[in-house]
Amino acid sequence: MNRALVLGALALFGVAALLPLCAMVLRIESADLARVFEPRVHALFGRTLALGLGAAGLAFILGLPFGYAVARTDVPGARWLRTLGIIPILVPPLFLAMTWTVLVEWRGLVASVFVLGLAGFPLVAIFAARAAERVDRRLVEAARLAGGAPAALRIDFAMMLPPALAGACLAFVFAVNDFAVPNYVSFVGPKFNVYADDIFASWNQLGQPGLAVAKSLPLIALNLLALVPALILRKRGAFATLASGFQEPARWNLGTWRAPVLLGLLGVLALSAFVPIGRLVYEAGGGPRNFTDARVAQVVGSDAGDLGEGAQAETTAAHVGLLERVQAAPVLVAGFLRNGRAAFRTAFDRARDDLVRSYRHAASAALLAVFFGLVLGHAIERSRSRALGRALEFAVLLPLAAPATLFGIGAIVLWARPQTQGLYQGEWMPTLLFAGRLAAFAVLITSGAVAALARPLEDAAAVAGVGPARRLFTVVAPLVQGSLVGAFALVFAFAMRELDSAILVPAANRTAIVRVYNGVHFGRDDFVAALALVLVLSVLLPGLLWSAFSKRRMEVLP
Amino acid sequence: MSAAMEMQGVRVELGGAVVLAGAALRLEQGEHVLLVGPSGSGKSTLLRVAAGLMRPAAGRVWLHGALATDGTRLLMPPERRGIGYLFQGGALWPHLSAHGNLEFVLRAAHVPRRERRGRADEMLEWVGLEGFGGRPTGTLSGGEAQRLALARALVARPPLVLLDEPLGPLDRALRSALLERLELLQRRLGFTALHVTHDPDEAASIASRMLALEAGSVVESSQHGLIP
Repeated sequence: MNRALVLGALALFGVAALLPLCAMVLRIESADLARVFEPRVHALFGRTLALGLGAAGLAFILGLPFGYAVARTDVPGARWLRTLGIIPILVPPLFLAMTWTVLVEWRGLVASVFVLGLAGFPLVAIFAARAAERVDRRLVEAARLAGGAPAALRIDFAMMLPPALAGACLAFVFAVNDFAVPNYVSFVGPKFNVYADDIFASWNQLGQPGLAVAKSLPLIALNLLALVPALILRKRGAFATLASGFQEPARWNLGTWRAPVLLGLLGVLALSAFVPIGRLVYEAGGGPRNFTDARVAQVVGSDAGDLGEGAQAETTAAHVGLLERVQAAPVLVAGFLRNGRAAFRTAFDRARDDLVRSYRHAASAALLAVFFGLVLGHAIERSRSRALGRALEFAVLLPLAAPATLFGIGAIVLWARPQTQGLYQGEWMPTLLFAGRLAAFAVLITSGAVAALARPLEDAAAVAGVGPARRLFTVVAPLVQGSLVGAFALVFAFAMRELDSAILVPAANRTAIVRVYNGVHFGRDDFVAALALVLVLSVLLPGLLWSAFSKRRMEVLP
Repeated sequence: MSAAMEMQGVRVELGGAVVLAGAALRLEQGEHVLLVGPSGSGKSTLLRVAAGLMRPAAGRVWLHGALATDGTRLLMPPERRGIGYLFQGGALWPHLSAHGNLEFVLRAAHVPRRERRGRADEMLEWVGLEGFGGRPTGTLSGGEAQRLALARALVARPPLVLLDEPLGPLDRALRSALLERLELLQRRLGFTALHVTHDPDEAASIASRMLALEAGSVVESSQHGLIP
């Protein structure tokens, strides 16, 4: 371990990730602290807790069987289903909220739990799938000899449980910190106020940063209460690990259950990815206007088309049947495609600069996060002092424990001053903001990979006279390449979809996701759906490119 | 009296290579049979077929006179074969304690809850692990883990025990200690044992017969050290 390199990385990480939090803590006044204990805040805490538990519970219920089925059964297309299962965590949850609030009448807590549970299920599924494929075959067979399939399943699930719970803890953290979904659900229905929303309001409407921080303290505590078990459970997940002499477990032959299981998995993917993306496609083509009964009637030359609006609705409802729909289909589909092309053209025309900025900020933040990941992730695992390693791990987690809105406010408080105006309003501010906020993922992913790396590989290089820094970049980095790529792709995706902190910092709110957010709040139209689709594709692009052109597997698990 | 286990014409191919080519063997009740062969000769595969954990391409397996495997058809699932299996490397369930490992098997064997702890403690005592019940398996030494694996294989009192390289990772002193335990337990419990090893000298002292696996077939070996 090169001390200068680690200290340099730590200093940069401190500036990007920890200083904004420290700057916020210093703003708290005693009067602010007193307001933390107001009954209104208790209700806020209860709602936020209910949201987190509900979303994590739903993510667990969907993710555990999903992960097991794709990793350990002979369900058709398991490999593809497993890859597709990552999509919901990459798609901004706001887009899921936009879709599901149109398709169902749920609002408030139920809608938020549903959306954030769907968005978080891949966290459980990917942890569970990796654990399931790392259960040594002999452990399962020993159980099978003792008590048949039920006993074997008991062992399998016991081995998968700690990592799956770690995933559920992360889903909880994602849910309680989310600002966009409860905010959007409130926008289209009755007010559903949670912590993240209230922190934003304390800053944005009341202009009281100290109060915003004070209010967020219980939420930070709640986050830490979820993140620390996640770390412990992640380590316990090492039960399911690749020890020497590991024997790959067999896949269960589902027999006549193959089709039902496949349908179940496709159903989960439909709810969390296909339907929301499909709905965006539908909206981008002007579907809500294009495929109405009135429009069908108009196309097939029905009398209903000539009537007044109120009467037209009744008449069309009575007259438009399957035959009329089939007759009108070619014209409607052509109109849909024409609308879609126009919407995408508008999206690119209006938001090209925002998109380019999003790419640039996300890519540079991901690169910086990967650097943090390699240096600090390695330091966490290879630190001579175990306590120092754990302390470093805890420090890395802190930005995740703070809600993104608070992190954004912290960045403003820290950098919006005359001496640092250049940085605050410049191109590097979003990079620093996103890297600071999201580097924890890269560090945890890389430290997990380093932990699985045999130490003698580095020792052999050391004995050969290779210095610590060179060892890190020429021995460790190539061996954990899959994890570094995974860390890049994940941080890139999360930075592209980062709304909660970007919406506050001026230099970061000229991005595509902020434009979508503004679009849905100030007159949602085809262009907004088209831009959202472009954003989804952009988020998925690095992973898709890697999958298409590389034979190596991308590791996105800490 | 029917054999404890009989195999005839067992053929297994893995990845296009023939691992067992019509293997046949017969174990009489109470025997301790040593099956030797070099690494990769198919010894573990033969045990897996016997336990019903693998379906052969062809051949039959009888357990106590009942047909258990007929070609690719498993007529008796693994859990109903009455087999104790000591896996290579132990394969102890790492999330359970020593007690947990034994009680899991007893629960699967429908032993009433109130009797499980007593039976587990008795077995731990028999393998020399008294007082280790609460220990997580990850904290056990190699010898202790192997003795616990033996205890787990025997705790449900199976009439037939398959031992896959049970002494593999142990040093000489631990090997002889475990062999003594094994001999004692076999006398006490009366099970039949098929003991697989790559080392012909390993358990020659307690084996009643020695078989060798050569080119996918089981052959009788009358003298120790026959297999290279």
